[in-house]
Amino acid sequence: MKITILTFAQTRAQLGFSEQACDCSPRETPRQILRRLAPGFTPDQSVRVAVNQEYADWDQPIGEATELALIPPVSGG
Amino acid sequence: MALMKTHMEFTRAPIVPPSASRIAAEIGACVEFSGIVRESENGSKIPGLNYQAYEPMALNQLGKICHELGTRHPCEEILLIHRLDFVPVGEASLFIRIQARHRQSSLALMTELIDRLKTDVPIWKQEIEMAAPQSPKVP
Repeated sequence: MKITILTFAQTRAQLGFSEQACDCSPRETPRQILRRLAPGFTPDQSVRVAVNQEYADWDQPIGEATELALIPPVSGG
Repeated sequence: MALMKTHMEFTRAPIVPPSASRIAAEIGACVEFSGIVRESENGSKIPGLNYQAYEPMALNQLGKICHELGTRHPCEEILLIHRLDFVPVGEASLFIRIQARHRQSSLALMTELIDRLKTDVPIWKQEIEMAAPQSPKVP
């Protein structure tokens, strides 16, 4: 299956892409997918992950999700 | 009174708040907040801020947060407009209007909504640096 990885703010600058499609298995976790996609990148502890537009656990398998987003500390308003 | 109405949107143009119409005869409080870009950020002068959002998730999050807060602070209507891309100093990046029967619930919801916006809604601001002054031309 394929999942789309989205990056924002500093994670976009760090990873060098805003959106990228990636092959993955439903058993993989966001942490495993990211490690495979960008082996040299370890997200800061303040970076959250969203799966299908909901905050999720870095170590929870993604199941049938189609979108994974890296959410660095937000600063709207 | 009917369930709370919410309207959330992003705009890339200057925010023009729609005129406030009293949505029900029982409305006793209409609270408005504008977040304005200041001329300095972390001690440095800036021309403005650049805002970026994960728009569909941000709208989902805002909807959930408003629903959650509305159960504790009953209000009748929330209107929220957040500007994206470049927002110059002195212009609004955020506008919120809350209508409720009573001021206590509208003020409490406003405060908590802004706090949650700043911790849980995927919107980011980036400072824009002032352009370097031009060196004087040597004749």
